[in-house]
Amino acid sequence: MAAIASNPQRGVARRQLGRRMREHAWGYVMLLPLIVLTLTFVIYPIFGSIRYAFYNWDGFGEPEQFVGLRHFITVANDKYFWNAFQHTITYTVVLVPVQLLLALILALVLNDPRLRFSNFYRAVYFLPVVTSAAVIGVVLGLMFARISANFPQWMIDAKLVNPMLGIVNDPRLIMPTIIAVGIWHTLGYNMVYFLAALQSVPRELYEAATMDGAGRWAKFAHITIPMLRPIGTIITFLAILGSLGVFDIVWVLNKGGPFYASDVVSTYIYGYTFTSTRGGSTANYGYASAAALFMSTLVLGLTALQIIVVRRANRQRNELQA
Amino acid sequence: MASTITTPTVRPQAVHRRKRFSLVYLATHVVLLVVGFFYLFPFLWMIAGSLKTLNGFFTQGLSLIPDGWVWRNYVDAWNVARFGTYFQNTVFVTASVVLLTNFFSSMAGFVLARTQIPGRKFLIGAILVTLFLPRGYTIIPTFETIIWLGLNNTLWAVVVVNTAGSLIFNTFLYMGYFSTMHREIEEAAVIDGAGLMRLYWSIMLPLAGPMVATVTLFTFISNWNDFFTPLVFTLGKPELRTLAVGMFAFVGENSRDWTLTCAGAAISIMPIVIVFLFLQRYFIEGIAGAVK
Repeated sequence: MAAIASNPQRGVARRQLGRRMREHAWGYVMLLPLIVLTLTFVIYPIFGSIRYAFYNWDGFGEPEQFVGLRHFITVANDKYFWNAFQHTITYTVVLVPVQLLLALILALVLNDPRLRFSNFYRAVYFLPVVTSAAVIGVVLGLMFARISANFPQWMIDAKLVNPMLGIVNDPRLIMPTIIAVGIWHTLGYNMVYFLAALQSVPRELYEAATMDGAGRWAKFAHITIPMLRPIGTIITFLAILGSLGVFDIVWVLNKGGPFYASDVVSTYIYGYTFTSTRGGSTANYGYASAAALFMSTLVLGLTALQIIVVRRANRQRNELQA
Repeated sequence: MASTITTPTVRPQAVHRRKRFSLVYLATHVVLLVVGFFYLFPFLWMIAGSLKTLNGFFTQGLSLIPDGWVWRNYVDAWNVARFGTYFQNTVFVTASVVLLTNFFSSMAGFVLARTQIPGRKFLIGAILVTLFLPRGYTIIPTFETIIWLGLNNTLWAVVVVNTAGSLIFNTFLYMGYFSTMHREIEEAAVIDGAGLMRLYWSIMLPLAGPMVATVTLFTFISNWNDFFTPLVFTLGKPELRTLAVGMFAFVGENSRDWTLTCAGAAISIMPIVIVFLFLQRYFIEGIAGAVK
C-alpha cells in the first residue's frame, strides 16, 4: 500500500479515477437498483443455498445443527430422489426432440409465402404459450376427468385405460400425459424462433441453388438445415434448461403423484421445503438445499458434457469435410 | 419469385402442376385447421364449461355447446370464489414488475451503453457471467431474505423477487439497443447542457419505444402467468393470491364447483389472450427479435 501511495504516477491516476467517478456519480445512482437487487436476489441466493446444505434446519432461527456432508449422502442414496431425477430426465429427453421436430415442421409449412392465412395459423398454434401453465393445468385436469368418465368400452377392454383411475391417477399414464401437455404448451415459442430463423435465410442462396439445378431436398439439406443450426443450438439449450426445471404443470396436475409416479426434482425439493408431506414432521430446508445443490451440480455436469460432445461432433464433421 | 425466374415460358405441364399444387395447399389447410381445432380445444371447452349448469357439466362430457347460458358463473367466480380479488392482485403485481423492470433495466442499460463510467467493463462482464449462472433452485435463501426484510406475505415480495430476477436479461437487451443509437443525438443534447438523467429521461428513453414494447410484453406474459413465486410468498395469506395460485387453491378447496373453476380459468386467461390477439405481431416479432 505504502509503495503504491509513494508512486507519484499511481497517485495521479487514482486522483483522476476519483474525479471521473465523481463526474459519473449519477451513472452509479442509475446502476444502483440493478446492482443491489441482483446481488440480493440473484447472486446471494445462488451462493447462500450452499451454506444451508450443511445444516439440519427447519427454517426457524439460525441454523445450528451442523451435519457436514450427511445430507448429500442421504440425497445420493435416496431412491425417491433418483425416481424424481429419472422422471425429470425422461421428460426432457422425450419433450425436447419431439417438440423441436414438430415446431420445425410447422415452421416450414407456415413459412411458405404462397400459403394463405399463415398469420392466422401462427396465432392459433402460438396461443397456448401466452396462457399460464398452472391455470391450463387445472382446466386440463377437469378435461381429463371428463374424458375418463367417457372412455370407450374397447379401450377399457384392451386394458389401455383403467376406468377406476382415469388419466391423472393412473401411474402408467401420468408421465406421458405431462409430457404431451408440455409439448403442446410451449411448442409455439420454438415455432416462432424457427420461423424467424427461416426468414433470415437470404433468398439469393435458394435462387443460386435453383440455377445450379438443386432439387427441393438438396436445398433443404444443404441450405435450410445449415442456416438453422446456430439458432437450433440456442433453442435446444433453452428447451433443455426449461425442461429440467419443470414444476407448474406437474404440481397442478397431480402434485407429483399418484404415489410419486410423476415426481420431478422440482416437486421433490418443494416437498421438503414447504410441506411436511415427506417423512419428517417438519420441513427441512437444509436437506432441500442439499438436494437442490446436488441437482445443480448434476445439471452443470450434464451441460459441460453436452458442450464437449457437441464440440467433438462438430470437429469430427469438419475434419471429415476437409 | 424464384419460380418465375426459372420458368420464363409456360410449358404444357405447368397448368397440370398448378392444379396439383392447389390440391396440396387445400390438404395443408384442412390438416392445419383440424389440428388447430384440437390444439385450441381445451380453451373452447373451458369457455363452454364456464357457461354450463353444474348438472350439464357432468352429463355433457366434452360437448362444446353449453346446456344453459349460465352467465351467473362469472359473477359467482368473481365475488364468491374471490377471483375479483385475485384479479386485482395479479394486475398489481404484473403492472409493478413491468414498470420497475423497464425503469431499472433501461437506466442501467443506458449508462452501460452510452457512458465511459469507471467499472463499466467489469459490470458488463459480471452481467454476462450472471446470465449463464444456473438459477433453478435458489428459492430457500430468497425466501430467507424476504422474511428478513419483513416482506413475507405481502405482494411486494413477489414484485421485488420477480423484478430482480428479470433485470439482468432485460438490461442486456436495453444495452444492446442503446449501443446501436447514433452519437449525434446525444451530443446535441449534451451541448444544450443536459445532464445524464435528463439525457436518459427525455432523449434516450423516448427513442427506445420498440425495446420498451418487447420488454413489457415479455414481462407481462411471464408475470401474469407466474405460479411459483406468488405460490411461495402468499402461502400464509390467501387473500394475496394471484390468479394462477388462486385457481390452484380453489380447485383444492372446492373440488365440486367445476363450472366456477372454468369461469375462474376463463377470467385468468382472457385478459392475456385478448392482449395477445390485438398485439400478435409485436409478441411474435419481439420473441423472434430477442434470439437474433
